[in-house]
Amino acid sequence: MSTAALPDLAHSQAAESPWAVETHGLTKRFGDNVAVNGVELLVPRGCAFGYLGPNGAGKTTLIRVLLGLTHADAGTMSLLGYPVPKHRDVALARVGAIVDEPRFHGHLTGRQNLQVLAAAREPAARDRIGPSLERVGLSHRADDKVSKYSMGMRQRLGVAACLIGDPQLLVLDEPMNGLDPAGMQDMRDMIVSLKAEGRTVVLSSHLLDEVERTCDAVAIVDRGNVIRQGPIAELLAGSSVVLQVECSEPDRARALLGATRIGAHVEVGSLGLGITLPAGTEREITAEIARLLVAGGISLYRLQEMQTSLESWFLQVTSRLGGPD
Amino acid sequence: MIATRFMELRKRRGLMIALIVVNIGIPTIFLAVRLLAHAFAPKTYGPAGGYNIYTGLSSGVLYIFGFIVAATLGCTAGSVDLTEGMFRHLVVTGRSRLALYLARIPAGLSIIVSLVAVGFTIVCAVCVFAAPTQLNYDGVNVPAGLSRTGLESWAADHADSVICNFNINGPGPSNIGCGPNGTPVTGNGSGAPGQPTPVQLRTAAILIANQDYLDYSHQFLYPSNSLMVKTGLWIELEAAVGFLVGLGLGSLLGQRTVAVILMIVLEIVLTPLFSRARITHLLNVQRSIVGVAVAHLAPGGIPVLGGGGGGPGGGQGNPALIPESTTWSVCVIVAWLVIWTALGAWRMMTRDA
Repeated sequence: MSTAALPDLAHSQAAESPWAVETHGLTKRFGDNVAVNGVELLVPRGCAFGYLGPNGAGKTTLIRVLLGLTHADAGTMSLLGYPVPKHRDVALARVGAIVDEPRFHGHLTGRQNLQVLAAAREPAARDRIGPSLERVGLSHRADDKVSKYSMGMRQRLGVAACLIGDPQLLVLDEPMNGLDPAGMQDMRDMIVSLKAEGRTVVLSSHLLDEVERTCDAVAIVDRGNVIRQGPIAELLAGSSVVLQVECSEPDRARALLGATRIGAHVEVGSLGLGITLPAGTEREITAEIARLLVAGGISLYRLQEMQTSLESWFLQVTSRLGGPD
Repeated sequence: MIATRFMELRKRRGLMIALIVVNIGIPTIFLAVRLLAHAFAPKTYGPAGGYNIYTGLSSGVLYIFGFIVAATLGCTAGSVDLTEGMFRHLVVTGRSRLALYLARIPAGLSIIVSLVAVGFTIVCAVCVFAAPTQLNYDGVNVPAGLSRTGLESWAADHADSVICNFNINGPGPSNIGCGPNGTPVTGNGSGAPGQPTPVQLRTAAILIANQDYLDYSHQFLYPSNSLMVKTGLWIELEAAVGFLVGLGLGSLLGQRTVAVILMIVLEIVLTPLFSRARITHLLNVQRSIVGVAVAHLAPGGIPVLGGGGGGPGGGQGNPALIPESTTWSVCVIVAWLVIWTALGAWRMMTRDA
């Protein structure tokens, strides 16, 4: 695991890489089932990156491949600029990860479990046990057996286990699982603070709201494929626009808009009209709709452009829910 | 890393209690009961220690239980990281999987060697310090350490006891036997028994003593220092084999229960069976079983594998065992240790975490 064993060139090349995680054509099969299908993923350094997908999309499998917990069938990958599996030991020495639910030796205390893990890392890791426990708010229970921990406390211990390696990259697989609202807020704050320290955080989750609050960029994975990735703001800018309209005669308003060339998809709901406009529609179209309705003798009570959330965008792009892909 | 692996195993309270009970508790309780019984009723119950108790406990309890205890610990060390979910945490540290595996060996061995040593030390201490002052040979108290002439001389002076109690190992006295009331009588069964003369008694006793000397010369009041050292090393070897094979098997299977069952079957079923049954076409296979090989390295005077009596050459001199050279035994043991360690390490390096 000695970094000195690597030529300086490898270190300098790794340091120059702008990507914390980089994969090309990464593939993992389980028999006929392709869990990771030629994934091209680029995670910039120093950001909080959300890795989103429905259950069974292949999120955890990709993480397991990246961390060397299972082997890839095809493709290349690098962590922090170090190609893996060739330099996996050097790369992982700078990585902290929680994969699936964090499980530990139940007969040992939280502190002792961290001692076991610290012993497998560099000597300085042992000195980071106390501060890591403090940071995740587990100091007061550090000397209790893990078998007495709640799920949320195990999650915190898992994060502490990541932190003892002073990682440049943290890979957190569903870190909010088992946390109460206060715990989720703490975890959110911690992710933000880790990012502020210059670390890269990869957050795998199906909690879209959490990802939207904490991450700068996301990748959407479905059926083993990364179908979108990029900064959240850019991705949402490319999504369709929804107008919510309250008016006196919704059915006539729908017929009226249907006869135009605006290209809107109009539905009548309990709250009035829902008008979906294609991505990239200019704002002038909204004014045009208002003029059309008023000119048609329909009383207009409210017209609001709804902010597209990550969740609604996610539902649009994931194939299982009938989205465009 | 070795220190934390040691801690991880040592903190398994249930396992440690079980190991201590089996390896230390059973011989201690056995000896304690004998000490108390002898203290309160010395005429009914003999001394707690002595040579025979030593050989019985060494080969019958510590040897077999030591292996099972070591195998249980080995199977635990080889599998629990995986079953308890710590394996992936350890892999993610970047430390090589081989190093993770190898760290378990000194950690586990230090525990098992200590446990076996404590149990064996207790047995040695009681067997030496609570040994009988006289040798009980065939139910007769006989001075220990006599020469052949000395035993014959002693037998001549205690002819009645010798004729009526000692085993007759060869053509016995022609016209003297033991009467129904436990005293020597003359006659061969065709006529009425008569009273033998003192000369007849002495001659018969000397003859029996001479025939029994070889057996007598292997009886001691208590084990010698040399025998205790050799026996201790031999038991530790068996325990180390149990641990390392168990570690490899546990790692290979990825779970403890089945691995422990297989190890127990190996020790108490397959090994005794294959060490004694001479199957001509499978003789080399039988010799290749590690338990058989270790049994052949038993020190002189130690009976092995549930009885059979150890000859002066120990396992090598034990006619009950299939023949096997010391070189072959050593090679078999080394091969088992290397192969199982390699298998366990290979599985750990290749399995999904």
